[in-house]
Amino acid sequence: MSPSRLTNPKVLGSLIAISAFFSLAGCKKTETPAADTASPAVAPARDTTPPAAAAAPAINDAQIAHIAVTADAVDSAAGELAKKKGSTKAVKSFGQTMVTDHGGVNKQAVALVTKLNVTPEDNDTSKQLKAGGDANLAKLETLSGAAFDKAYIDNEVAYHQAVLDAIDKTLIPNAKNAELKGLLEKVRPAFAAHLEHAKSIQATQSKTGA
Amino acid sequence: MPRHASLAAVASLCLLGAIAACSRAAPRAQTVKIQNFVFVPAELTVARGDTVVWSNTDFVPHSTTARNSAWDSKAIEANGNWRFVARDAGRYDYYCVFHPNMKGTIVVR
Repeated sequence: MSPSRLTNPKVLGSLIAISAFFSLAGCKKTETPAADTASPAVAPARDTTPPAAAAAPAINDAQIAHIAVTADAVDSAAGELAKKKGSTKAVKSFGQTMVTDHGGVNKQAVALVTKLNVTPEDNDTSKQLKAGGDANLAKLETLSGAAFDKAYIDNEVAYHQAVLDAIDKTLIPNAKNAELKGLLEKVRPAFAAHLEHAKSIQATQSKTGA
Repeated sequence: MPRHASLAAVASLCLLGAIAACSRAAPRAQTVKIQNFVFVPAELTVARGDTVVWSNTDFVPHSTTARNSAWDSKAIEANGNWRFVARDAGRYDYYCVFHPNMKGTIVVR
């Protein structure tokens, strides 16, 4: 896929990979209960099915915390760039809001992991997010004016949609600690609001060609 | 109508008027909670002289900004409050300048 067709394929790809991987993991976990309701033709297999608890956890809380913090940092960095390079008030303001809000999310996350005495654990997903974010920044650095604005906002729409999907399908369902799950549920509206905001700007850009 | 009945009717009217005056004369504070990036309630009706308090329970700043420029709180920090005395009757649509999809309405009677 050409970078010109998808503003930030690496970041998007990472997040899609998160959802896909953990959705598959989730499917694996449901195989055993599914066997309980299977037709009589497969009933004998039930006795030999390993217990679900024996399966390795798809993702642990320390990894989820690291993914959340990394997702925040990636979007904050892009926001900082938009504050500097955005050519319209709407794009600059959006960038500032991303920096402020993701800073707020990060503060909450750090406070929680400190309270829980959990050290966020780096993982492949976090690494991919960071690499994708760096690639996005490198691309945005080469753009200016309306081209920058469009590429930045297009990426923000795709990024926030992908993060929301990951929160809903992967991070919240896999979080074991109630407070971590609660934090993810608490930050979800921020990502949803950012997505709607980015879509509004995108719609205006489409109308005005700016 | 007998005279005493007329007096009683007048007295009743005065009492009702006094009660109405008292209720108008006692402005109160009503709260709009900012929670999960939503104004709750989305529409609030108040009387002239009442104070509207926006209470931000989110972890990021929000604003309450009237579309007709009747008020603008600027940033209400996390766990902060902002007050506005509603002096003029009307219907006021407002939004959060940082998250423009957050919308609310204050009706002043």
